[in-house]
Amino acid sequence: MVPGFHQNLEQQQAPVLFAHGPSPFARLVFFAALSLALMAIDSRLQYLTQVRENLIELLHPLQVIANAPSQLYRFTNEYFSTHHYLLNENKKLEELALEQDISLQRLNTLTLENANLRDLLQANKALVESSTLGEIMYVGRDPFTRKVIVNRGTSHGIVAGAAVVDAKGVIGQVTRTYSSSSEVTLITDKSLAIPIQIERNGLRAIAFGHGRNNTLDLPYLPANVDIRRGDKLVTSSIDGIYPAGLAIATVSEIKVTSDSPFARIVCVPTGGIENHRQVLLVSIPQAETLVSTSALVNEGVAVDNNKKPSKPHAQE
Amino acid sequence: MHKSRLKSIYLSLLLAFICLLFPWSGLALKLRPDFMLLVIIYWLLRAPNLCNVGTAWFIGLCVDLATGGTFGQYALVYTVTAYVAVIYQRRLVLFNGTQQLVYVFLLLIISQIVLLILKTFAGTGLFGWDYFLPSITGILMWQIAVTLGLNTSRNTRGS
Repeated sequence: MVPGFHQNLEQQQAPVLFAHGPSPFARLVFFAALSLALMAIDSRLQYLTQVRENLIELLHPLQVIANAPSQLYRFTNEYFSTHHYLLNENKKLEELALEQDISLQRLNTLTLENANLRDLLQANKALVESSTLGEIMYVGRDPFTRKVIVNRGTSHGIVAGAAVVDAKGVIGQVTRTYSSSSEVTLITDKSLAIPIQIERNGLRAIAFGHGRNNTLDLPYLPANVDIRRGDKLVTSSIDGIYPAGLAIATVSEIKVTSDSPFARIVCVPTGGIENHRQVLLVSIPQAETLVSTSALVNEGVAVDNNKKPSKPHAQE
Repeated sequence: MHKSRLKSIYLSLLLAFICLLFPWSGLALKLRPDFMLLVIIYWLLRAPNLCNVGTAWFIGLCVDLATGGTFGQYALVYTVTAYVAVIYQRRLVLFNGTQQLVYVFLLLIISQIVLLILKTFAGTGLFGWDYFLPSITGILMWQIAVTLGLNTSRNTRGS
């Protein structure tokens, strides 16, 4: 009672002219040390990932509120999209489906043939990946990293490391998972490297994101390397993460300068990194998902019977 | 009096946080001002008895969580900026509008430079001049708020 009264009195007489408690400098030192310690723990040790996951869950309601205006905008936009436009799109999609149906039929026979050939050669068993369809919720909030948040998480069986693909090619890799969302680092991010192969001549290399522009670099290749403008880069699958043969980028520029033994090769990603909403999350092929050829054959037959392709094939 | 002031601090911080959580993308993301920092600076100058370096640190942690960066990154940035804001806070009474604006702009630039140093240590690479765009949009927002009648001078009675 008395201390409370005393405080009250003090505030009236000498309000805030003199700061109470430790000096600003002491506070600065204390909190700066604390943040440095946190940064060290977070970047070097993995103690804080669980904490982060739980706290992100708490943020979810706020996230819903913040996303509401854009959701509403999209909803009304979709609602008022014209009949004509929808009809057109429907026609286009039907044509596309027909085209893809034909190639899928061929794919089934090819899969069977491939399985037989593998059996004959007693080669390694093919990997079968499972995949989940996700939707990009929003772009990462740090403008200097290339990340997007997708609405699929650990509760949908997503594991960090899964490849993320859209209809045109690879767009990135899952780097962090939460319970109902996951963070995807795009291939244009500086911290992401991806093993590639030139489609034309089978040359293998590693592509790095550029970071600032929406491009990829092929560093450390000699100036006389056999790469031309317009060459297509595809996944080489030697990393065991990305399925083989997915399109990644097209070479757009090759600069050879006399002062450097290396060529500067700039590639433009083929996937719609900035403009697609739907993406496919392809899980990492693991030892358990190794499917014996006979199973593959069975699956192929089943597919033929049902006239319905299995999920991973549909997207290729 | 304190209670109502505290309430408005929390409310403004919450609003700024929701602004941060908006699904920004493309050019808007590059131009996005640092809402949280602007609100903290405002309260640091307006009510230093309620908002201090520690508050700034905590808000920084929230921003770290939202941006998905390393924990402690924004916390350190906000701590340093808040310190600079606090040590010159008493002189603010003598400043006129333009001086105050320059002062806040300097604070925003300081925060971005500290962040740049931290990111360089983390190896994120070099940034172009557009890195400092959020400071410019931030100070514009500050000026708009002042024009709309936000009282930035400190209430000397500390109510």
